[in-house]
Amino acid sequence: MISIEDIRNLATLARLKLAPAEEESLQKDISNILDYVGQVSAASASVEREVPVLRNVVRNDVPTPTLGERESLLNAFPKREGDFNVVRKILDKDAGAQ
Amino acid sequence: MPELNKLTITEAQAKMEAGEITAVDLARACLAEIEKQNTELNIFLEVFSDVEAQAADADKRRAAGEKHPLLGIPLAIKDNILIEGRVASAASKMLEHYVATYDATVIKKLKEAGAVFIGRTNMDEFAMGGSTENSAFGPTKNPRDTSRVPGGSSGGSAAAVAAHMALGALGTDTGGSIREPAAFCGLVGFKPTYGAVSRSGLIAMGSSLDQAGPLTHSVADAEAIFDTIRGQDVLDSTTITESTYPKATLKKKIGVPRHLLKEGVDVEVLAQFEQSLEKLKTQGYDIVDIELPSAPLALSAYYVIMPAEVSTNLARFDGVRYGLSKKGSTLADDYAVTRAEGFGPEVRRRIMLGTYVLSAGYYDAYYGKAVAVRQKIAKEYSDVLATVDAIAVPTAPSVAPKLGEKSDPLSMYLLDVFTVTANITGHPALTVPVGTGESLPVGIQLTAAHGDEATLFTLGKVLER
Repeated sequence: MISIEDIRNLATLARLKLAPAEEESLQKDISNILDYVGQVSAASASVEREVPVLRNVVRNDVPTPTLGERESLLNAFPKREGDFNVVRKILDKDAGAQ
Repeated sequence: MPELNKLTITEAQAKMEAGEITAVDLARACLAEIEKQNTELNIFLEVFSDVEAQAADADKRRAAGEKHPLLGIPLAIKDNILIEGRVASAASKMLEHYVATYDATVIKKLKEAGAVFIGRTNMDEFAMGGSTENSAFGPTKNPRDTSRVPGGSSGGSAAAVAAHMALGALGTDTGGSIREPAAFCGLVGFKPTYGAVSRSGLIAMGSSLDQAGPLTHSVADAEAIFDTIRGQDVLDSTTITESTYPKATLKKKIGVPRHLLKEGVDVEVLAQFEQSLEKLKTQGYDIVDIELPSAPLALSAYYVIMPAEVSTNLARFDGVRYGLSKKGSTLADDYAVTRAEGFGPEVRRRIMLGTYVLSAGYYDAYYGKAVAVRQKIAKEYSDVLATVDAIAVPTAPSVAPKLGEKSDPLSMYLLDVFTVTANITGHPALTVPVGTGESLPVGIQLTAAHGDEATLFTLGKVLER
């Protein structure tokens, strides 16, 4: 069974804030699902991984229009100011002095 | 004259061509049905306000001499397919107010054909589920029995067609999300060969598995929609051409993997399945036993590969550029709070599972092995499909469950046991309704060789006779 610490670690990696009750239910659900899908690790010992048949898909190096009008893309910003997308300040010029 | 909204696409097109009815008549008949039943069934998340105008435009195009099998045909569109200028929410709080900034390629092609878009249909959030109960906007009910689910994730699309609110619908299928709801609602559902239809403009779930396709009342209708939306697309480099795979010739042989049907399938479903095999037999097809030794591992491989791709694809929803945006105490917290509030429980579960199977230390045991198993299954299927026209199984192991019946996630996943394989292997698969009368619908699923959609349509038409 997967541990509650594992669940918390996964939540951090997955960028999900979980309530304690959900951590517990996920511990149970994910353990059950892993028990089931674990068949693949158990049963496939003899399976050789083959190199799949791949093909390159290339296009001419010419500019093409982007998908969507500029204005509609700007309108999708959660917080728009003029033509700017307002995001959290992550650099602080005084941070080094603290 | 029968009610217009109950016509098949082929019938409606013939009537419009003959000048007996107009696209506006058809659209009004569908809208009237929606007015009657949508509150009870919760099928459409939005009915578009310009449906009659779209239909009038189609009538104008016909008057100007245009012809197309879908010209003026009212279609329902799953809520994870982008239509420029309209909301596409994937039935998630994360994208509740997101307005699509461009047309999906399938939508562009349907617009060129002159199809009329009725509205966007309910679904499991981000297409994750088999019952439409995972929608952030409430479950959809099965029009054939309102105490039951319509299947999922394209449950709204299936219910819209089954309830005659549209003549056909587009869905997407990552592990059976077109075929399972089609079977539960008594419809034809079709998942094309991987790459046959462009994925550009579909809200991605598992990119190596996703395909868009039709849900309709007849095989000919499904074929008409598929012929319209298929084709190579510069915006999706996985799309194929008609010459990518060799042409198959009809062998008049159907393979049945009896070893997969020994347990876990309802007696009633098996009985209906056997009856439809008889139908093929009387039409001169040989029914032969086949072995697919690795097929029992398909569901496990799928539930490793799919969540892995989900966790990667859904990493883009961070509240920075579009969609829901919530503030936390730090930047990392902004992401975590936004994603916790925006995603529902099943989506969070799959992201967590995908993060686990991709993490260092577990990658080889789960993801690496699942990919190897996937290749082995694909090879077994391709080898068998070189000797038979198609592989036949029931589409789902049971009829549609009651609402709330499958509350444990794993029991819900087991409904996908017969459908995931075609996504794992990339083969095209068609479900056709079998059985008659009062009983709940059951589907038979046929899987053919890569690129051999034609054989599936031929067989499907034999089955629906």
